[in-house]
Amino acid sequence: MSRRRGIGALLLALSVATAGWARVGLARVEGAGREGRPLLYLPNGRHLRAMTLGHAPLAADLLYLWAIQYYSDYRRADRFRFVEHVFGTVIADLDPRYIDPYWLGAMILTVEAGDLEGGLRILEKGLERNPDAWVLAYLAGFECYRAGQYDRAAGYFGRAARVEGAPSAVRRARAGMLARHGDLREAIAGWREVLEDPGSDAATRAIAERQIRDLTIRADVANLEAGLREYRARFGRFPRRLRDLAERGIVASVPTDPDGAPYRLDPASGRVSSAAGRVLVGR
Amino acid sequence: MSGRGPTAPGPAATVGAIALNTFREAIRDRVLYLLLAFALLVIGAGRFLALLTVGDEEKIVKDLGLSAVSIFGLLTAVFVGVSLVFKEIEKRTVLTLLVHPVHRWQFVAGKYAGLATVLLVNTGLMGAVLSLLVVLRGGAPGPVAIGIVMIFVELLVVAAFAVLFSSFTNPILAAVGTVAVYVAGHLSWSFDLLKRRLPEGAARVACDAARAIVPNLDRLDVKAEAVHALPIAPARVALGIAYGAAYALAVLVLACAVFSRRDFE
Repeated sequence: MSRRRGIGALLLALSVATAGWARVGLARVEGAGREGRPLLYLPNGRHLRAMTLGHAPLAADLLYLWAIQYYSDYRRADRFRFVEHVFGTVIADLDPRYIDPYWLGAMILTVEAGDLEGGLRILEKGLERNPDAWVLAYLAGFECYRAGQYDRAAGYFGRAARVEGAPSAVRRARAGMLARHGDLREAIAGWREVLEDPGSDAATRAIAERQIRDLTIRADVANLEAGLREYRARFGRFPRRLRDLAERGIVASVPTDPDGAPYRLDPASGRVSSAAGRVLVGR
Repeated sequence: MSGRGPTAPGPAATVGAIALNTFREAIRDRVLYLLLAFALLVIGAGRFLALLTVGDEEKIVKDLGLSAVSIFGLLTAVFVGVSLVFKEIEKRTVLTLLVHPVHRWQFVAGKYAGLATVLLVNTGLMGAVLSLLVVLRGGAPGPVAIGIVMIFVELLVVAAFAVLFSSFTNPILAAVGTVAVYVAGHLSWSFDLLKRRLPEGAARVACDAARAIVPNLDRLDVKAEAVHALPIAPARVALGIAYGAAYALAVLVLACAVFSRRDFE
């Protein structure tokens, strides 16, 4: 009996040791060849949806959790391969209303891989399926802003602002982008929307008022300086008074600054300034 | 079953007595507790799984919870349902029962009612735990509750098939058949897909017929809407309940007819 037990124990020890040795060997043999393999056999989202038999949202969650772990591994050589496919197609097909994968996939591409267009494609897919998800348009705007594409950023912030329930910060962001892009009159109109938005708090309204004041000065100064350049082109010198621009029909009228004071002209340099002069945001 | 005395109980009382007995028998089964414990464990695990995500943790808790209610409900319907009638025939206890003033249809209906009660208690318990988790996370339990009601309706249809198969075949075949109905029911939309790829004629009619005959379990599925708190039209819920109940009743009538023709000699 004890001999049989001994043989049994020996067999158990041998089999465990062999399995352990083979396991280590297998891991070594497979080695780098496994890179990207789990993604290679990831089925199409629509097919996967059919296979889940009504549990597609759960499958989307599990795939999303797995993708977070997979793409968080910084040692992976081809870490950004298939990001768009996994987040923007497979998970999105399984649960089109799941917002998180759209923005996370877009962040991986734009922030980490530096692929703005890829990130925007994922966000566009999300917006197509969830037009009410203002956060996706807001993120697209933010990524365009980071890339210095202020006009495009303003467009996305505008899309986000049109969604019912979007916070007033989205309108502020749009107006700010318009100003940075140089669309000063549009930016003033944008800040007026923020000012008139019943959802804006007192602090936001104060910011909007200051921005409108600054941008009005910037727009007036730019308009008058353009008039001065035209005057010099016609008469070979700058005028002595700003009023001359209106008298010669170069500008419709000469405005006063937001404090009601006249703008000042330096006839030597052709530069216009305001007594209310401020350091302007984004200039 | 003629010759019923004046003190014989009515059909409802007979069905109720068999249902109660079936329920008692089922809750003595360890498999049921194992399934329930595992389901509650999975629902609870959603809280920890949600920690791995980036973004909305509540969605994962709801998704995992609703799927656990559905899958473990299915397993309960299959494991308990497929042997309900078969066991009575195998052990010959059905003969003892049928010498009493009990119609065969009452026997089948009682068995089904007992199984439905088991499913109601199980689904209710799992649903209560899930709703509690959602409330603890600050969510609204309403949409999840609608999702659970629709899962229960789906389980009623599946349970009816389990009883039908159990009335004429062994538990293994009955389990295979019930699971096959569940799979086909969730893929019934594919008949529409197939129809669009076929030429006009008999094949298309066959697709329409198959779509109508196979239980449209996909139409009862509101899990995605419940999780994302999307509006679920009351008409959809009401018609879903009506469809599920009517379909289950039709299958049950078929089960009664099959069982009535069985020869136990």
